Amino acid sequence: MSHGFEIASPKGPPVPDHPFVARLAKGLEWINKTIVRISMFAMLLTAFILTYSVVTRYLFKIPTDWQDEASVFMLIGVTFFSAAYVQSYRGHIGIEVLSSILPPAINRFRLLLVDIISAAFCLFFSWKSWTLFHEAWVDGQTTSSTFAPPLWIPYAMMAAGVTLLSLQIVVQVLAAITAKRRAA
Amino acid sequence: QATTLKISHQFPGGTLEEGDFRDRLCRMFAAEVQKRSNGSLKFEIYPGSSLMKTNAQFSSMRKGALDLSLVPLSYAGGEVPEVNIGLMPGLVPSYEVGAAWKNAEVGKELNKLLLDKGIVVVSWIWQAGGVASRTKAVVDPDDVKGMKIRGGSREVDLVLKAAGAAVVSLPSNEIYAAMQTGAMEAAMTSSTSLISFRLEEVSKFLTSGRGQSYWYMFEPLMMSKTIFDKLTKDQQNTIMTVGAELEAFAIKAAKQDDIAVATVYEKKGAKVVDLNAATVKKWQAIARTTAWKDYADKNENCAKLLKLAEKLL
Amino acid sequence: MSPLTLGVLYGIVTLIVMFSGMPIAFALGVVATGFMYFFMPAASLDTITQNVYEEMASITLLSIPLFILKGAAIGKSPAGRDLYSAIHAWLHKVPGGLGIANVFACAMFAAMAGSSPATCSAIGSAGIPEMRRRGYSPGFAAGIIAAGGTLGILLPPSITMILYAVAAEQSLGRLFLAGIGPGILLVILFSGYAVYRARREYAVAYQAYQQGGVKSAYLEEEHFTLAQKVEMLPRVLPFVILLIGVMVALYGGYATPSETAGLGALLAMVLIAIVYGVWRPKDISPFITSTIKESTMLLFIIGMSLLYSYVMSYLHISQSAAQWVVDLHLSKWMLLTVILLMVVVFGFFLPPVSIILMMCPIILPPLKVAGFDLIWFGVVMTIVMEMGLIHPPVGLNIFVIKNIAPDIPLKDIVWGVMPFLLLMLVAVILLCVFPHIATAFPDALMGAK
Ligand code: NA
Ligand code: NA
Repeated sequence: MSHGFEIASPKGPPVPDHPFVARLAKGLEWINKTIVRISMFAMLLTAFILTYSVVTRYLFKIPTDWQDEASVFMLIGVTFFSAAYVQSYRGHIGIEVLSSILPPAINRFRLLLVDIISAAFCLFFSWKSWTLFHEAWVDGQTTSSTFAPPLWIPYAMMAAGVTLLSLQIVVQVLAAITAKRRAA
Repeated sequence: QATTLKISHQFPGGTLEEGDFRDRLCRMFAAEVQKRSNGSLKFEIYPGSSLMKTNAQFSSMRKGALDLSLVPLSYAGGEVPEVNIGLMPGLVPSYEVGAAWKNAEVGKELNKLLLDKGIVVVSWIWQAGGVASRTKAVVDPDDVKGMKIRGGSREVDLVLKAAGAAVVSLPSNEIYAAMQTGAMEAAMTSSTSLISFRLEEVSKFLTSGRGQSYWYMFEPLMMSKTIFDKLTKDQQNTIMTVGAELEAFAIKAAKQDDIAVATVYEKKGAKVVDLNAATVKKWQAIARTTAWKDYADKNENCAKLLKLAEKLL
Repeated sequence: MSPLTLGVLYGIVTLIVMFSGMPIAFALGVVATGFMYFFMPAASLDTITQNVYEEMASITLLSIPLFILKGAAIGKSPAGRDLYSAIHAWLHKVPGGLGIANVFACAMFAAMAGSSPATCSAIGSAGIPEMRRRGYSPGFAAGIIAAGGTLGILLPPSITMILYAVAAEQSLGRLFLAGIGPGILLVILFSGYAVYRARREYAVAYQAYQQGGVKSAYLEEEHFTLAQKVEMLPRVLPFVILLIGVMVALYGGYATPSETAGLGALLAMVLIAIVYGVWRPKDISPFITSTIKESTMLLFIIGMSLLYSYVMSYLHISQSAAQWVVDLHLSKWMLLTVILLMVVVFGFFLPPVSIILMMCPIILPPLKVAGFDLIWFGVVMTIVMEMGLIHPPVGLNIFVIKNIAPDIPLKDIVWGVMPFLLLMLVAVILLCVFPHIATAFPDALMGAK
């Protein structure tokens, strides 16, 4: 698990062998990098908003009723949009005890199967997120707070983020399937 | 073959005889319906949000993923704006007015709207609330000027803001700590929550909801219409009858809590103050131009519901 | 199928999917949706995304990224190294002082960062080479850092305590305070052991030298003038400001815990900008990126675990399992022992975050019935999970050490942490006998519960 440090900091995700898949991967990498740049800004902004909330309440006795929710939206966005980036580095941790036990061929098959199931789940999740987004959009749903911002905003970020994550895993699956056999 | 129905709520779990009256009501309802339906309906009760998050309950019921829930209706205000009427400051000034809703035009209209959204109201429950404060007693609207106070809902916050308060929003599990440190000076919530949050330990004043209040919250026992429609006519009747019968218990228990909360705070040395008709009117006057107006401007349904509710004043 | 049978099935499937190597977050989601599909009404599948959103859209949980950011800002700037050298300069005369300096530096850093591996890596990267240079045996040096690093989740702020506070519906502020006493206790125990062990290693080295062997680095004199020592002091100042600033904001009634997270992160960034000139986008982007990576990974696990526990609750598995535990009629302390053993076993494989999320729905109700103070238990559980961080097969802190000092054999590291594991066990027992170690502080500052 990376915990504010990296055990190994790779230059970038591995490049797939198949030229078409490699192009797809490059495209995703560009999107991910852009998103991370925006996310960095969003994170700093969140820290600033929360500090601002403390300061204004104490100095000017101004109600602080939108800061929490704005922060929530921002961080929800950061989390979901960055999921694909994290996946591109295989940063979602799992229990990797089998990899050292199984023979390489079976191990490759295991990883492929794990990725296919993960992709299926994420696709399902993004489908359900888009439906949720659609409901919130059509009904004009808002959060039930005083600030009452529209709910389609976080739902859309969740849906788009998980869709991107699904794409990322699919590309990784394609890369594994089209990979050239390497001498062990 | 018995049907098992799940009842979810956010309040502390207890037994039939003891604990939070909203949990007890669910248990009484479950026991009575099971008996009268000759065991064809069974219940599982999930207290303390142990099944799902509080805010997910309403929409889960609408989708038929949850059978029943006892939840403040206004929590779903973001999803169905009309239900914000369930916690409209000053709109319900007494339990009697609240109880009259069910059979009055406003109740019928609200019922129709909720049925349309896939929700059956099984039991009409109202509860009064008050204010716990650590700095000064909150009686008149003027008292909250500059005060760091948690209203807990959009409508209440609008009124508090108009009265000059520095409204604070924070999650409910932080209320106690925030009152302790002074990050928050006062909280407005239901009588039962004023006790269950143990705010008496950190408060010096209590504005009680006994007798008179401008803070009444509608927290009905509700059922998913999808699930309700799948039951036999007899079962449906049993559910509605038992639900209606329990309304008397709810009023009695809620009123007891209004008195109990005052006793609890007095014992801890807090000063307990009551509201009178004149102060309630002052709050109502502010609410009328802020929360009520904000609500009525939302859509036609809201405007209509508000008008019908005002008829009972 | 009875809930318990279903529960066993749920557990087995979870184990299989997790050990397949599927990322924990996806594994939780896959198992949950799978069981939803087979055992729950079809409508349940329509609610999963909203449920996940409702779980995640909590300002308390979303303060996690900000706490990580604060730790990363300090840990990735020269601040961590400076803190370490200053403490070392002042403590080096004390026998075993270098070990103590490392424990102290870990504790100081832990009081600013929310996670244990972060603490380990920030202090260890300076501390381990220094200790080895001074003749400490590699295993001992690794043990001090691995164990000292675990303080990261015990001393506030703590990511796992945030999750626990949400699951147990306890005040986060109070829980944070409750970690301080036991944290100090562990610092004392670790330091005491460090002195004992350093003296023994010194004696062995001295004897070897007397008998004509090589002169170990242990026997070298190191000297700092008073001027040098004083000159180092200002380097600790930023830490002290940050520490006190955040504490005052939280316990002085100026900020809520989540606001404190934002305030702390911003303050940390401002401090490293002023003190170390770390403010340009290219300076700060590496640690913000790593913060994003880590918090995204954690929050995905947190979000998906909601689905997982929702299914457990809907199928009455959590309730039946909890009831089953209650029906065993274990004595109060037996119950605690059994539960903590479960935490240890889970700790073999899972990180603390997942342990809390998966176990709390089952273990908290019986503990409540047995009359345990849930704030106190949160602290005890945290220490037991800390033990999981430094014991094999999956001990995050061990991996961190492996990364800082790849040449220390795993065997040495594992033997090096063993004494510290025992000390943590001692701390748990002391906490059971004297619960005030945890509760006295919050009671004094926030009033008795
Ligand atoms: Na910490
Ligand atoms: Na472990």
